Amino acid sequence: MIKNAKNRNMKNITKKIIIGLIAGIVSGLFSTGGGMIVVPALIYLLNMEDKKARGTSIFCILPMVITSGFFYYKSNYIDWKISLLCATGGMIGGYIGAKVLKKIPVQYLKIIFTIFLIYASYKMIMT
Amino acid sequence: MIEILIGIVSGIISGTGMGGGTILIFLLVYVLGVDQHIAQATNLVFFIPTSIIAIIINLKNKNIAVQSAILISVFGILGAIIGANISIKIDVNILRKCFGIFLAIIAIHEIYTIIKKYRKQKIRDNNKKKI
Repeated sequence: MIKNAKNRNMKNITKKIIIGLIAGIVSGLFSTGGGMIVVPALIYLLNMEDKKARGTSIFCILPMVITSGFFYYKSNYIDWKISLLCATGGMIGGYIGAKVLKKIPVQYLKIIFTIFLIYASYKMIMT
Repeated sequence: MIEILIGIVSGIISGTGMGGGTILIFLLVYVLGVDQHIAQATNLVFFIPTSIIAIIINLKNKNIAVQSAILISVFGILGAIIGANISIKIDVNILRKCFGIFLAIIAIHEIYTIIKKYRKQKIRDNNKKKI
């Protein structure tokens, strides 16, 4: 029994290491998408509940983003004017979203978002 | 001004947890005509203030598995060092195409989850009819 528990513990640690590594690489490569890996991984591989997985994923991703940011900064890829303006808009948008989005069903949003993804991926690959 | 608007749109989408970052990068590249690398860097800066607020709220509500998160973060930092260094050295056009492929993979995953949910709903409805 103890051996079993130990085994499971080891397995979970390995899973977390792999989740971290993959999410980190994607996050560094594209600066986004870490959450799209961490959230489902926590839910399906570690049996975490939805809400906790979302909360945990943001906590995991911030250090990855700061690390990537450091390297982008060193290579002079940060345009502070654009970045700060976007971040300001982002906070306003986040506030609006928290108020308004509760009233729109997530299902429809998901479908719209998926259509956007297909269009965006087509455009980015083809041009 | 356009920058703030793009930020607002992405911020609203971020609230749903669907990846406001993808939209931010896309809009910066195609509306503002910014290079892929700079768009991605903008997304990093964009993410930090909102996520800090979200972390504080989630910590208060005990919605974070801190121990797991720390282990994942440590290896996440390692991964990010690898990923960021690759990204920096890649040619802008290739990086943009890779990003497009990445978006396509997410889209396929989204379609899969939508179908799965729809099926579950149908099975539930059928069971109700039987009763």
